[in-house]
Amino acid sequence: MSNKDLKKLIEAIIFTSNKPVTIKELNFYFKDIETKELRSVLKELIADWENAEHGFNLVEVSNGYQLRTISEYSDEIINFNKEIKKFRISKASLEVLAITAYKQPLTRLEIEQIRGVDCSGVINQLLDKRLLEIRGRKDVPGKPFLYGTTGEFLETFNLKSIKDLPTLQEIEDMEPELKLDF
Amino acid sequence: MSNMEQLELPYQVKLQVFEGPLDLLLQLIKKNKVDIYDIPISKITEQYLEYLDVIKQCNLEVVGDYLALAAQLSLIKSRMLLPQMPSEDEVEDPRAELVQLLLEYERYKNAAEDLESRDILGKEVFIRGLSYFDEFGDAAQETEIVKTDLWSLVEAFKEVCLRRQFELTEDIVFTIESFSIEEKTSELIEFFKTNRKYDFKNIFNKMVSKAEIIITFLTILELVKNEIIGIEHENPEDEIELFYIGDERLEQ
Repeated sequence: MSNKDLKKLIEAIIFTSNKPVTIKELNFYFKDIETKELRSVLKELIADWENAEHGFNLVEVSNGYQLRTISEYSDEIINFNKEIKKFRISKASLEVLAITAYKQPLTRLEIEQIRGVDCSGVINQLLDKRLLEIRGRKDVPGKPFLYGTTGEFLETFNLKSIKDLPTLQEIEDMEPELKLDF
Repeated sequence: MSNMEQLELPYQVKLQVFEGPLDLLLQLIKKNKVDIYDIPISKITEQYLEYLDVIKQCNLEVVGDYLALAAQLSLIKSRMLLPQMPSEDEVEDPRAELVQLLLEYERYKNAAEDLESRDILGKEVFIRGLSYFDEFGDAAQETEIVKTDLWSLVEAFKEVCLRRQFELTEDIVFTIESFSIEEKTSELIEFFKTNRKYDFKNIFNKMVSKAEIIITFLTILELVKNEIIGIEHENPEDEIELFYIGDERLEQ
């Protein structure tokens, strides 16, 4: 298959998928094509969309590749398509997610020790939303569940991987206004 | 479940927007513009207890967590009053442990804000068609119609309560108190249909009993949650205002 054909095919695969398409999945399908080549095709596709200045881009997210709209027109998109319900999340949920993202896997008690407040309701909601998942049990009395973030969490917050998050130190350094204005 | 059904349930307040005792303490430190490493414990404890009073009155289920921190604050306060033993080599600040907790919490609070500022799927960016995230579109309670923070609202409510208590001492009226969230809901909706926009504190003006004030406050929270009224608070100096959005949601 020529490079041009491969590029079009991969683009079509990504277009039809409702989940980010991963390198692993592409590797599995295109057995005789090297990972290096796949990556370079994807890189080209990302640049193509970006340079053409469209209403959407190819974005690297949750260890995969997905077509996503650019953020400028979010209000109009919601206004036009009444079926879209704007994603909303409470501050409490965001705090539980942030703690989990940086300290996973961890138990409910460990989350509550940081927030100083009962978090069972929030954790259950986040499990329902598939933003958190149970990773196993901690080997301490009572064998409590250990929680971690999910691929859906990465998708929701536009993260390539969990390593894509800025470190706590970086947040403290780069956003002094946040620190003062808590 | 429709909003109507929700309103008909006996009242039980589940306010997950309450960010907890550490959040309240951080807000107080910020409000008083004091150094987190040198917290004036007496002053802050006093203010903390005032808020706790309001939270207690509203019968919120979260109150236990707040009491624990109140006890800790009182303990620190009493330790601060004790003279330090000169024999001790290292004189530890009784506040040190609390400061560590606060700083740790603040770190994750900032991280949460950082998460919130990202291009969130279903909010800033979208994928083709509807994703499974859409089913959660209205699940969270935080709405944009609330243009204030929770503690400002509690603060305003605290003032309402204090003001009423004062007046009550001069004019004691015995009444059978029977207020329900259902009645208040229709009353407030009618009220807002005519008035559209109203100062939060003035809503309580003609009310005599504490029970009515509290039920009214809880009803307001319900109406905000169900997006029938919104809250506006442009500047910290300004009064908090409530505005009518519509009751089409109720009629659905």
